[in-house]
Amino acid sequence: MALRGRHFLAGWLVFLLAILAWVTARNTAAHVLARELAELREERSAREAERAELLRRIREGSSLGTLRPLAEELGLRLPADSQVIILQQPVREPR
Amino acid sequence: MAKTEVRLRVVQIAFALGVVALVARAAQVQLGEGRRYAADAEARRTERVELPAARGTIYDRAGTPLAITQERHHVGIAPNELTDAAAATRLLQSALGLGEREVRLALRRRWAYFHGPFSAAQVHELRRLRGIHLTRTYERFLPDPDFALPVLGRPAAEGREASGVERLLDSVLAGTPGSAVVLRDGEGRVYESPSRLDAFPVPGDDVYLTLDAQVQEIVETALADALERFRAAGGDIVVLDPHTGEILGLASRRADGSQPATAFTSVFEPGSTAKVIVAAGLLVNDLVHPTDSVWGENGRWRLPYRVLEDEHPVQWATLEHAIQVSSNIATVKFAERLTRTQQFRIMRDFGFGTPTGVDVPVESRGRLPLPQDWSGTTAQALAIGYEFSVTPVQLAQAYAVIANGGVLFRPALVKRVQAPGGAIRYEHRPEPVRRVVTPEQAAQLLVMLRGVTLEGGTGTGAAMAQYEVAGKTGTARVAGPNGYIPGAYTAIFASIFPASDPQLVLVVKIDEPHGGYFASITAAPVTRRVLEQLLAARTNALDRRRLARPAAPSPTQVIAVDPGVLPMVYAWPDTARDADTASRTVPNVAGLSFREAVERLHRRGLRARVEGQGRGRVARTRPAAGGAVAPGALVVLVGR
Repeated sequence: MALRGRHFLAGWLVFLLAILAWVTARNTAAHVLARELAELREERSAREAERAELLRRIREGSSLGTLRPLAEELGLRLPADSQVIILQQPVREPR
Repeated sequence: MAKTEVRLRVVQIAFALGVVALVARAAQVQLGEGRRYAADAEARRTERVELPAARGTIYDRAGTPLAITQERHHVGIAPNELTDAAAATRLLQSALGLGEREVRLALRRRWAYFHGPFSAAQVHELRRLRGIHLTRTYERFLPDPDFALPVLGRPAAEGREASGVERLLDSVLAGTPGSAVVLRDGEGRVYESPSRLDAFPVPGDDVYLTLDAQVQEIVETALADALERFRAAGGDIVVLDPHTGEILGLASRRADGSQPATAFTSVFEPGSTAKVIVAAGLLVNDLVHPTDSVWGENGRWRLPYRVLEDEHPVQWATLEHAIQVSSNIATVKFAERLTRTQQFRIMRDFGFGTPTGVDVPVESRGRLPLPQDWSGTTAQALAIGYEFSVTPVQLAQAYAVIANGGVLFRPALVKRVQAPGGAIRYEHRPEPVRRVVTPEQAAQLLVMLRGVTLEGGTGTGAAMAQYEVAGKTGTARVAGPNGYIPGAYTAIFASIFPASDPQLVLVVKIDEPHGGYFASITAAPVTRRVLEQLLAARTNALDRRRLARPAAPSPTQVIAVDPGVLPMVYAWPDTARDADTASRTVPNVAGLSFREAVERLHRRGLRARVEGQGRGRVARTRPAAGGAVAPGALVVLVGR
């Protein structure tokens, strides 16, 4: 009876430890995930900032204000409307 | 022995009393004052903070970002927490672009702070350092700071009111802030506590404008060039899709760099560009025949109160010829066939003297005097574009009527509002206000405007080799506080491109050009240059398939085959052509302003007439709200 009592107590202790270990593992995993999430969010913010800066540079680089002087230096000019050829899409004949 | 026991007993009792006192005090603290202490500790260690929501992005119609929200940071440093101060100093210098001395001096203090604000990319490397504390904030970032600025405006900031689209759609763009409880240490520094997040911040909706970034850049550059070339005081350019009312490009600029009135608020007398409105009035009231001619007085006509002169003298002129050479005399003579009411009504129908209803916070209605306020010469003045004023957008809206086959559309600046998840909250659909002229009459007016850019017309400066441009020049004197300013003119060219199958309406207005002020040599060539650039650009504002295909035999046919643009229901009030003949109910407009009520009736496909002065709010309607009426039926609005 006494032995059973000790086993019973040991069983409860093991069970308690298992529960505690499970809770701790869950908390640890949650913390790891939270940290990863925070890092990813920071990474995304950094990439968004870089994207915004690149957008600005693209807009500046492709603007008429930048391109036109370069084109004029190269002897290029805006085509007259008669020099813009729009190809007509061929019409498919019905079979 | 006995003494020892007594001593032991005393010690035990003392110990027991001590334990009891301790337990009693603990019970008092925990049970009696526990809540107060807990609240006090909570208040010291935690704080409820509002988490700002990211403001929605503003895009052009093709998805090019025009105004975005960027995460920015202020940097706080606790020097005593730094593990390697030298490495931290180097990193702070390189990442934040700060000077070595500045960083060293700051790190000598207990708490160093760099306001910045710094971008997320700049502070990214700093995050892994212990002792660095970042405060996040959101800031508006414009990839091109000057791009369409009067239209976009700015969000409200300390000491500055919001403006433009940022103001109009603030509630949509702003989003909903979240809230969280954060941990705070003894120094007052805040630590994020993800488990205590009460409400996630909801980012604002994204707004897609009708503007096309490429068209916008072309018109902004063309306007800047024109102001420099003609040494003009200022100007405006508007590009509009006549079939939807969507504004594709909009530039306003003053040569002195001051903040200009926008194309929605800058008013001017339209001069000869208004002559086509007289022609429309004559056609609508069946008062002119294509072969009718009037005597052009050889370019000079003395009237009782004024002398009219023509820049291009004519003898006998048909209405078409009068428009082509912009004859003031012939136009006034034709306009005399209209009654005051007819002349006023056609101008009102084209949208003059009333706000267009475009999505901007501030818009001018221009000025159109009521017939009872006209003097003896007002009818003549109105016919040639004086004694009333318009905005560039109103003028573009009026020419769009001719371009699209006769329907006045409400101009639009907002194409779509989209939730962060992708759900469409609003999508612009063309909003017809009224049918002004029939498709046949619009076609006749378009023919008249085509003649302006042909040989002998005043708008040959806008003519292109391969495509036909329809348009009308206007050169109007500039009114000042003491009458017209000597030598000051406004040059305007309102055009439709291409004339064979209209896709765009352009209004180019140049204020006080020098060295030749006529629109034929100022605004018209600027129009051609804008069109050439649009043709050469890769913008989708022009449908090149339609440009490539052969011209349609008549504009009316073009409208009929144009897919999904002008459903025939818009043909109101030409009920014979209406496809939608189902009866509709009169909406309840009681309590609304007269303007809102009229708009609501128009959208329901009903006509409106205001009884009385039209001031205050609507009390009731005749027929009453809820009654069934035919499409295009007249609803009388009665005031309180």
